[in-house]
Amino acid sequence: MFCYQCEQTDRSNADSGCATAKGMCGKDATTSDLQDLLIHGVKGIAQYAKRARALNAPDNAADEFMLYAMFTTLTNVNFNATRFVTLIQEAAQVRDRVKASYIQAALAAGATPEQLTGAAAWQPAADMDGMLKQAAHVGINAGLDQVGPDIIGLRSLALYGLKGVCAYAHHAYVLGKESNAVYAGIENALDFLSNDPTDVEALLAQSMALGTLNLEVMALLDEANTGAFGAQQPTQVRVTPIKGKAILVSGHDLGDLAALLEQTKDTDINIYTHGEMLPAHAYPKLKAYPHLVGNYGGAWQDQQKEFAEFPGAILMTSNCIIEPQPQYRQRIFTAGPVGWPGVRHISDKNFAPLIQAANALPGFKDDVDEKVITVGFGRDAVLGVADKVIDAVKSGAIRHFFLVGGCDGAAPGRNYYSDFAEQAPQDTVVMTLGCAKYRFNQHDFGDIGGIPRLLDLGQCNDSYSAIKIATALAGAFECGVNELPLSLVVSWFEQKAAAVLLTLLALGIRNIRLGPTLPAFLTPNLIQVLVDKFGLLPITTAEADIEASLTRQAA
Amino acid sequence: MNTHAIELTTRDGERLRFECAADRNLLEAAADAHIILPAQCGQGNCGTCYADVSHGDFTLGKHNAAALPDKAGQGGTLLCCTFPHSDLRIDLPFDRDRILIGEIKVRNADIIAIDSVGENTLRLELRLAPNEDDGSTAEFEPGQFMELEVPGQDIKRAYSLANISNWDGRLEFLIRLQPGGLFSTWLREQAAVGQTLIVHGPKGAFGLYESGLRPRWFVAGGTGLAPMLSMLRRMAEFQEPHPARLYFGANRAEELFCQAELKALQAELPQLQVILCVWKPEDNWQGFCGTPVDALAQDLADASILPDIYLCGPPALIDAAEAAARAKGVPDNQVLSERFLPA
Repeated sequence: MFCYQCEQTDRSNADSGCATAKGMCGKDATTSDLQDLLIHGVKGIAQYAKRARALNAPDNAADEFMLYAMFTTLTNVNFNATRFVTLIQEAAQVRDRVKASYIQAALAAGATPEQLTGAAAWQPAADMDGMLKQAAHVGINAGLDQVGPDIIGLRSLALYGLKGVCAYAHHAYVLGKESNAVYAGIENALDFLSNDPTDVEALLAQSMALGTLNLEVMALLDEANTGAFGAQQPTQVRVTPIKGKAILVSGHDLGDLAALLEQTKDTDINIYTHGEMLPAHAYPKLKAYPHLVGNYGGAWQDQQKEFAEFPGAILMTSNCIIEPQPQYRQRIFTAGPVGWPGVRHISDKNFAPLIQAANALPGFKDDVDEKVITVGFGRDAVLGVADKVIDAVKSGAIRHFFLVGGCDGAAPGRNYYSDFAEQAPQDTVVMTLGCAKYRFNQHDFGDIGGIPRLLDLGQCNDSYSAIKIATALAGAFECGVNELPLSLVVSWFEQKAAAVLLTLLALGIRNIRLGPTLPAFLTPNLIQVLVDKFGLLPITTAEADIEASLTRQAA
Repeated sequence: MNTHAIELTTRDGERLRFECAADRNLLEAAADAHIILPAQCGQGNCGTCYADVSHGDFTLGKHNAAALPDKAGQGGTLLCCTFPHSDLRIDLPFDRDRILIGEIKVRNADIIAIDSVGENTLRLELRLAPNEDDGSTAEFEPGQFMELEVPGQDIKRAYSLANISNWDGRLEFLIRLQPGGLFSTWLREQAAVGQTLIVHGPKGAFGLYESGLRPRWFVAGGTGLAPMLSMLRRMAEFQEPHPARLYFGANRAEELFCQAELKALQAELPQLQVILCVWKPEDNWQGFCGTPVDALAQDLADASILPDIYLCGPPALIDAAEAAARAKGVPDNQVLSERFLPA
């Protein structure tokens, strides 16, 4: 295997990347290699899908498959080698279907169909050992000796950003929102990558195009979330358990949560959110369920301890699973793209087995003293009080905004983010999103003239809210986003964050502080490009970075 | 007393470390550090705690030679009777998920059925008594076993589970009545529906190896069928796509059992082939004539893809099957086994 797509990739050798029998995330070499081969298969679909779409013969079902397939290869999503063998076979079948309709459309248009090569012509080997041999030639590192690490790094930036785009588009799709323009953009990017591009400018341009495409996808997802569940409202969420039977829902898929809430509404089971599911409490149509009682635990990397202690059944949706421990392996269920070998999977939103498990498990024996936090400062809530915010800035009551957000992780260096948020001066406002917030969201930040100093915008999926808020503020102050008293302090872990970063760069947002480490796939040359072109900054210490942010603003 | 640093590496590459004094066995020292390794008898008798020492010196204390597989190399040992002379590095033949951090559960369970399913073979069904910590669940991996204890009597015996984890506390066992065996005698003479047993577990490392779509071949002798049923039922529940074969053997046709259960499994898992093997058949026997190992060897010769092979039964069957698999070029790490040894 070779994989360096996430932040925690093995950096113990001169060449960073996980390349032994098992990656840092727990993904074994077989699964990793099969994921590479699946991506190869998906590129083959896209080669034909792009051309079919150009001839007005799109096959959106093929795009849905591509979104799902790409999502399964994100960090901490699917670890089940068996599932990948099946997906690889399915990829070839989907490709053949799209190819046939492309040829038909070309002939109908009086054109000679192109003879495509590479991934478009690939056939999966008959058995797993054969597939693993094929995978050896199509990993992200393929061609390293010929093209060098900068080109491989640029391909990685585009591919990993694209994975994030696909994941967000899949989130929107499962809530009923899709877009031909988005599908076309994804097909284009995969087709581009299928040619093993070597032109630096073209590769950078593709990454920026993906950043722009991702903005469109984030808008689609925002529309999907607010369309299905209403706009987020500031809401107090209980973070301590109450007595009774319990189900814990983790990951990002609000649709799965909604289905489960509906299926449990007449039972005695209480539903708790975990990790990135926390913002669910702010959506009117979800919080209307009285048995959505609270949030349990912290960010994803603490799940092995927290799930072992949770006395009910557990549902892991969309992403962020780590190896289930024996203590809870029988009572954790996966849904959507998530998978772990030997763990029960629910593919049809029929949560009866999960509910049966919750009824059999003991649940919480007692109430724990109530403790609450406030969430739900999506763009509607924040922009609803925009006048107040703008006045506070003009009067000097708010000196600066920090957006401290993104993914959390286990690395000790991530303490930087809690230090940053907690040390931000009292006349500054901290906006947050993603799961990095768990490091500081139970801290008492107080308020500035009634405006809370900590504004939780939602999931990483809600980055669109942050962009809308920044754009609206820039409009109000008649300046660019880069001129606002706003600093972005981003914590990245996996490929959704890569997509969001590309969006921010594509929007021309400068001086983003990125940590806890920079992506291993970015070579020193590539980092220099990002520093020169976008003013990207690696984090230093919370104290120094706060100081520098405020000084830059004053200057 | 010297203590030594012990480093365990699981099959899936996870590492665990603990300290062990020179006069303490590795299994107990691991448990002292709350690392519960798959084990059963604790006396070098059953082979459940087999592992391979890759670096370091140790003494393997008194043990049953049949508990060590034939394939065991120089470092092959049984952790329950291994005493370190130096720091040790040990390879474990199972994944991290079979190691419990904490303590083995001990629960009460009521007998809800005892049925004769074949000559000298019983099907025992228990229901775990609900309690405050576990509710009414029965949580275990397919392939694992429980130790059953008769309260107030010094009778304790390990049996593989034949069903899969469930939410109403059911535990199903297939038990061969051993002439003169303590638990067998108790079952035959005293056990009745409604009585309560104490169950320790789940325990054990035997189970499905998830690594893609290699075919899965299961070879069972007698009540060695129990863990195979469990694994196949799990495959059916998950609708796993792997090609699967079950070789199930007995000396005489009358000793075969669970035919209805196997038929039901085939209905749920259509790719499952069941090959019934009788060593000493009557003239009217329609199935395979010979041992399940004979059938395995014959089919391996024609196999285009070398399968993962699961073995359960008496040591002679397992040794013969391992030899047959090796002769056909099946890598050792594709052969997984559970030995049934007399208590």
